[in-house]
Amino acid sequence: MEERILEFIGDLRRAELRISTSEALDALSASAEVGLTDRETFKSTLAATLVKESRDLETFDRIFNLYFLDLEALGEGLKKALGPEDPKVQDQLDQVLDQENMDLDELTELLMRGQGSEMEMAIRGGAQGAGLERLMYFLQVGYFSRRISDQFDWSAIERDIEKIMQALEAKGLDPGQLARIRNYLELRLEAFRRMIRQHVQRELERRAYRAGEQLTREVLSDKPLFALTPDEVAQMKSVVAKLARRIKDALALRQRQEQKGRIDSRKTIRKSLQYGGIPMEVYLKRRHREKPRLITVCDVSDSVRNASRFMLQLVWSLQECFSRVRSYVFVSEIAEVTQGFNNFPVERAIEWALKGAPVDYHCRSDFGYAFSRFANTELDSLDKKTTILMLGDARNNYNDPQAWALRLIRERVKGIIWLNPEGQWGWGIGDSVMPLYAPACDIVRECRTIGQLGEVVDNLVHSWWRRGR
Amino acid sequence: MFESVEEVQHRFRAARYIASRRISTVVFLAARMGRPVLIEGPAGVGKTELAKTLSDVTSRGLIRLQCYEGLDEGKALYEWKYAKQLLYTQLLRERIGELIADAPSLPEAVSRIAGQDDAFFSYRFLSPRPLLQAIRADDPVVLLVDEIDKAEPEFEAFLLEVLSDFQVSIPELGTVKAKHVPLVVLTSNNARELSDGLKRRCLHLFIDFPNPTDELEIIRLKVPEIPEKLAHAVVAAVQKIRGLELRKPPSVSESIDWARSLVILNARELDPTLVESTLTMLVKYEKDIERVKGALDKVLAETK
Ligand SMILES: Nc1ncnc2c1ncn2[C@@H]1O[C@H](COP(=O)(O)OP(=O)(O)OP(=O)(O)O)[C@@H](O)[C@H]1O
Ligand SMILES: [Mg+2]
Repeated sequence: MEERILEFIGDLRRAELRISTSEALDALSASAEVGLTDRETFKSTLAATLVKESRDLETFDRIFNLYFLDLEALGEGLKKALGPEDPKVQDQLDQVLDQENMDLDELTELLMRGQGSEMEMAIRGGAQGAGLERLMYFLQVGYFSRRISDQFDWSAIERDIEKIMQALEAKGLDPGQLARIRNYLELRLEAFRRMIRQHVQRELERRAYRAGEQLTREVLSDKPLFALTPDEVAQMKSVVAKLARRIKDALALRQRQEQKGRIDSRKTIRKSLQYGGIPMEVYLKRRHREKPRLITVCDVSDSVRNASRFMLQLVWSLQECFSRVRSYVFVSEIAEVTQGFNNFPVERAIEWALKGAPVDYHCRSDFGYAFSRFANTELDSLDKKTTILMLGDARNNYNDPQAWALRLIRERVKGIIWLNPEGQWGWGIGDSVMPLYAPACDIVRECRTIGQLGEVVDNLVHSWWRRGR
Repeated sequence: MFESVEEVQHRFRAARYIASRRISTVVFLAARMGRPVLIEGPAGVGKTELAKTLSDVTSRGLIRLQCYEGLDEGKALYEWKYAKQLLYTQLLRERIGELIADAPSLPEAVSRIAGQDDAFFSYRFLSPRPLLQAIRADDPVVLLVDEIDKAEPEFEAFLLEVLSDFQVSIPELGTVKAKHVPLVVLTSNNARELSDGLKRRCLHLFIDFPNPTDELEIIRLKVPEIPEKLAHAVVAAVQKIRGLELRKPPSVSESIDWARSLVILNARELDPTLVESTLTMLVKYEKDIERVKGALDKVLAETK
């Protein structure tokens, strides 16, 4: 069993759950405490020891069901294959096997008396020999089932069965009894063959799942955002969530390393009382780094909507890294959407920002107008602690770019970072006015894929605020 | 302490707490393995109550450490009673004077005073706070560290040390080691991420809103006078309302409150006017109330 739990843990790790060795050991000893009889208990045990973040529970559930699908199901299947229990037959068998010191093949022994889990272990052994790790497609199930089958010496088993039958006959069983026993033995053989096939099928499902996850992460991370299908957009949400988490983890680590700082005067003085007011021992306080303020300004016209969606999701998932996040969306008219986030869960807030905010989503993009409006209404609410994260392709439909507005905004804030979801080669060509806006920005980055978006935001959270300190 | 997961479930029930299979399993493991349990989940799903019930069914005393921002070792572990120490030195001034009166030199006087350290740094002058109380307790206890996410990360690190070996060293008095390892329950409302170290050390239990069957049991248990039909209606409605994506969905304690007030109003079943007029027992934000009101049809659909 231990081996299976460890393998399961391997699957969890591949799905990006972080599980330390000590937690893996906990899982082993805890499941030894509760045993396997009750699936729900077993599952709760693994969850309690391995999953320490509630957001990982969903992944855990999915993988658990895939992995331990068979524990009971297999047992049940075996029973069904064997037909109604016939304890008498098994008794008679056990007797011969015990009495006549027959020299039987190991596998025959197993088939005659083994439990589901032992048989499964034998199959796993066979699977290794058969190179099951090369299994990839549904069409290969039959092939690999046969290959695993071939690992076993079936002729030896058949010889053994004949031996057993002869021994039983010699004991004077009547033909009716003998026929029942022979039937029983064949059913057991058949059940074993079925277990092999089930094992291969389950292995395929696991692989498909694993590969699917991997694929989502790797392929989607590098796919241009505008080219995502609705399905992919949905899958991408979890990719972005994981990205947010990685950034957060890394930041937390750095903060922990930076903890030492100012003197904690209260504690130091209190301690000094013991020494007549002389501060013999000095206590340090954690440096309170002021968290950055952030304003996101997103172009939500059709061409870049996906990019905006993921940037909003990413930023909003990183709330606690900022002391304040305000968000605006625009096509031509510009509107604040921060309140949506305060009122709804992230998903809905984003849907609302992309569809329900008071801007005309179907008009033609006009960056210049949006910036001038923003400068008119929001300038006083800006300050030097605020960074503006801008997302847009700067395709201005030949409208007046009004770059002065962006420069004005820049003077009031700590900096402007511009993410452009269009490839860099297109900047300045046609109606793109990126080169006109770039001088007002501190950083301008291409951001065509989720991978690039992640990099920029990661950089932002980690280093941008340290500059100029 | 417990022989089986089922036993946990039964004994908790007898103590008026409905523990799901998951909850019972984790409690069982915590008792078996002597591990702290970290409970996360929305407000009012019975996190604190679980610790109380655990102390109940094991007949162990409950020691509670309520966390808050700025909580430090002094407030959690122990503090010297400075005022009392000062008072005593004042009162004993003459005796101290006598002690050093014939000291030939300053160093000699100092070391004579130092010789009396023990008198002033003893348990007499120490106020033990919850953690030290739990460690020094003569009988086994349940230690509840409530809302750990409210304390600062440094405190968490300190707590982790205490939870790892259940011993603390008080420089003036030496090391104190727990006679019995306490059963430790930590709760968190997820105000911030907890450290990996702490999470690794603990068994993790996420308590979500109960499923309808469990919630019905809880209501029956806590509001025994409720008519059966109304209890069903309340549970169905509450579960629906939780599905509305509210800013703060109703918790178990709120559905209990609601059920209670419906009983006081002598209600036998739910109708829109009744629900509207009692809704504030259940949802607190203006926006949420509006939302529920707008969806009353849906909410009441299956409560008849
Ligand atoms: N499973 C349950 N069985 C019995 N009562 C329950 C259960 N769950 C919740 N309750 C009731 O709900 C009330 C609220 O529970 P409790 O105070 O423990 O919530 P909490 O999770 O600690 O909330 P918070 O996060 O706000 O501290 C309790 O008084 C208890 O009566
Ligand atoms: Mg509580």
